[in-house]
Amino acid sequence: MKSIRIFLLIALLSTITLVNFIAALHGYRASMAEAERLFDRQVIGTALLLAAIPVNERAPLVVKENDQLAFQVWSRDGKLLMRSDNAPTDPIGDASDGFAESNFSGFRWRVYSHAADDGRSIRVAERVDLRFRLADEVVLQSVVPILLGLPVAGLLIWLVIGRGLASLRQLTGELRRKRAEDLTPLALASPPEELLPLVDSTNALLERLQASFDRERRFSADAAHELRTPIAAIQVHADNLANSLEHSGAEAPDSLWQLQQSIERMAHLVEQMLNLFRMTPEHYPARFESIDLHRMARDVVAKLYPAFARREQEIELRGQAAFIQGDRFALVLLLQNLLNNACKYTPEGGRITVAVNQREKCVELEVCDSGPGIPADARERVFERFYRVGGDRHESRVPGCGLGLSIVHHIAELHRARITLGTSPLGNAQLPGLMVTVCLPLPATDVPGRNAKVRLETNSEKNQDESRRA
Amino acid sequence: MLLTSVILVLREVLEAALLLSILLAMSQYTGLAARWILMALAGGILGSIAYGASIGTVSEMFEGMGQELLNAAMQFVIYGLLLVIGMLLIWNRDGKQQYLKLLQWCMALAVALATLREGSEVYVYMIAFRHQIDSLQSVMLGALIGAGIGFSIGALFYYLLVGLARKRRLVVALVLLTLVAAGLCLQATQLLEQADWLPAGPPLWDSSALLPENSLVGQLCYALLGYEASPTLLAVSAYLGGLMLMALLLWATWMKTPSESGREVSNEFA
Amino acid sequence: MKAGVRNLVTIFIAMLLTVLLPVLPVQAARPELQIEIRDHLFYPSVVKVPANTKIKLVVINRDPTPEEFESYELNREKVIMGGQKAIIFIGPLAPGVYPFFGEFNPKTAQGKVIAE
Repeated sequence: MKSIRIFLLIALLSTITLVNFIAALHGYRASMAEAERLFDRQVIGTALLLAAIPVNERAPLVVKENDQLAFQVWSRDGKLLMRSDNAPTDPIGDASDGFAESNFSGFRWRVYSHAADDGRSIRVAERVDLRFRLADEVVLQSVVPILLGLPVAGLLIWLVIGRGLASLRQLTGELRRKRAEDLTPLALASPPEELLPLVDSTNALLERLQASFDRERRFSADAAHELRTPIAAIQVHADNLANSLEHSGAEAPDSLWQLQQSIERMAHLVEQMLNLFRMTPEHYPARFESIDLHRMARDVVAKLYPAFARREQEIELRGQAAFIQGDRFALVLLLQNLLNNACKYTPEGGRITVAVNQREKCVELEVCDSGPGIPADARERVFERFYRVGGDRHESRVPGCGLGLSIVHHIAELHRARITLGTSPLGNAQLPGLMVTVCLPLPATDVPGRNAKVRLETNSEKNQDESRRA
Repeated sequence: MLLTSVILVLREVLEAALLLSILLAMSQYTGLAARWILMALAGGILGSIAYGASIGTVSEMFEGMGQELLNAAMQFVIYGLLLVIGMLLIWNRDGKQQYLKLLQWCMALAVALATLREGSEVYVYMIAFRHQIDSLQSVMLGALIGAGIGFSIGALFYYLLVGLARKRRLVVALVLLTLVAAGLCLQATQLLEQADWLPAGPPLWDSSALLPENSLVGQLCYALLGYEASPTLLAVSAYLGGLMLMALLLWATWMKTPSESGREVSNEFA
Repeated sequence: MKAGVRNLVTIFIAMLLTVLLPVLPVQAARPELQIEIRDHLFYPSVVKVPANTKIKLVVINRDPTPEEFESYELNREKVIMGGQKAIIFIGPLAPGVYPFFGEFNPKTAQGKVIAE
């Protein structure tokens, strides 16, 4: 069965057609029978009238009649006393009393034979085709509406079925619109009895799923949080060890330096994990306020400037003041992550530009670098947690944990912003560069909410082999 | 004129519509695309116009027996096609997808021939009233009602078949096809009797008082079971013969298919 | 064009029928009866035939419109085009009355076969 609607339409229309048409046929047949009886009564009346007329027995009287009626009056001894001009001189019909059908004068007639009290035989005939046509024309008018009503019924059924299936369509739409991570229960306004079990079991399933997701998420967040303190302690101890070694005049071994590096990376990872879970749109208690994104970008660039300077990179801020509704802490984190990425992956002496521009429907934040960029086929995946272009062993050997862009994604989602990845105008053939564009909707048009939706767009331009960490 | 039209059109439409709905349900059963239906119907309608237009010529052939003989021949051909369709359906019952092209063509041809035969009579009837304006409305209304009832029964019948459980659906369809095919044998025999090609005897029984052929139920039984109110001995024998032959062949095919020898049978046939 | 189509159809039918013609029965002489159709009426409208004999009924349609000779009682059905002649074999019949009618004009085209 391809479509419930088409099935119902055809099945219902067929049933209606069948019942209606058969009813119409019965009605037609009954009306025709009634009309026949009416005609018969008229014929009988004519016969009785003829029987009452005294006739001169010597010469047969020929009476002019219309086409429909013919008659003969026979005497007791079989002499034709009177006839209509369209009746033959031979006896018409059976001799027996009552109705019979016979052919004469080129037509078929319904003949009524009546024996009068005085012994005369009166035959009155009516043309079958004419009286049938007359009755047919009248009765037919009652059949026509039934046929004309059928297309109307079809249209109404189509609409009614559509109305009846509306809640099903609503449910399908609700399910289709649901994002993968959205596990809120289906909200169907007063679902019909038939759909209730389906909605209930789906919601129960979603609830179980949500609970297990929550457990997993809490576990990761708790683990990250719990790791923070011991890592800080290890960091302090390693620093102390380095200090005391320095004081004692001994040269610190290479492994200690590596240990400190590793601890730093671990601390960064734990920090990023915590950031990621904090920024989950479902959990982050965003406080939206009016923010000048350009000014904020300037502050972040200023704060991170030492890192760029260390790598001898040229950083430039363009654009003008642009206000949006946003969460200050989250947006700073977003800028930091994007700029950190740009700084990390752009080779020493490279260029980075940050631009904030007011567009028609959004404020556009654009971060361009002259690094290796992200190949088009990896752009969809870089927002996944722990995903890194080319895996852990990639050419750039830049340390990272693969959470930066996931955090950016969460924050964008929080602000109903759109992220686009593309190649940078600062790039060249070897290093195409990366351009990240974040479109933050203007405050007037949108009230950011937790069911905000992020659309991920990736410009597939060049397919690059250069790897890049997210 | 209304009732006449209804009865005439209904009889022709019902026969074609029931066969169509059985085959359509089976087409759905084997997973064939239903496109063949359009082809078959178009072919059938064009054929019925051609046949209806040349029916005068046909009648004069074979010493005035062309009509009977051609109709009988078509009935037998449809019988053969239904037999082949039944066997192909059995071979395909496990979703083997064998000879689907052949099956599709057989179905299309059977529907086209059935439509052609039934449609030509409707066509002749319609052209008879082309110029009689006073009864045209009545004739058209009757034709609409007849076609409406016929197609409605066909559609409901189709959904009835499609709604059956898979295995039962096949069995029911095969039984129906066998009955329809047997009815075709009976009609063909009657036509040959009418043409004096087969000796005719007195009717074996007369059940017209019980179930008149021109009633709706009578028409339904005629289309589905080949019901005849007063058949001759020969016609009944043809019915039973056609029934048994088809039932036997289908039964044998059914028995052989699941085993290894099923392949041999199909090869023999092809 | 029309004649071409007709010829094609004729050839096609002839081919079909040759398959069906292994044994052409020898047609014995049958009592013959003639009925005419004029203005959608049968002349004569009552036909008397001997019982238990196969009869050759010749129906001539004098009207310009087609007619279908039909009888449920006789199990007969045949389209007769305008101006054409049709041969219909009926019987052998048990004594009795067998109505027939023109299916296209059933109100007026009525008749009956009386087998005696």
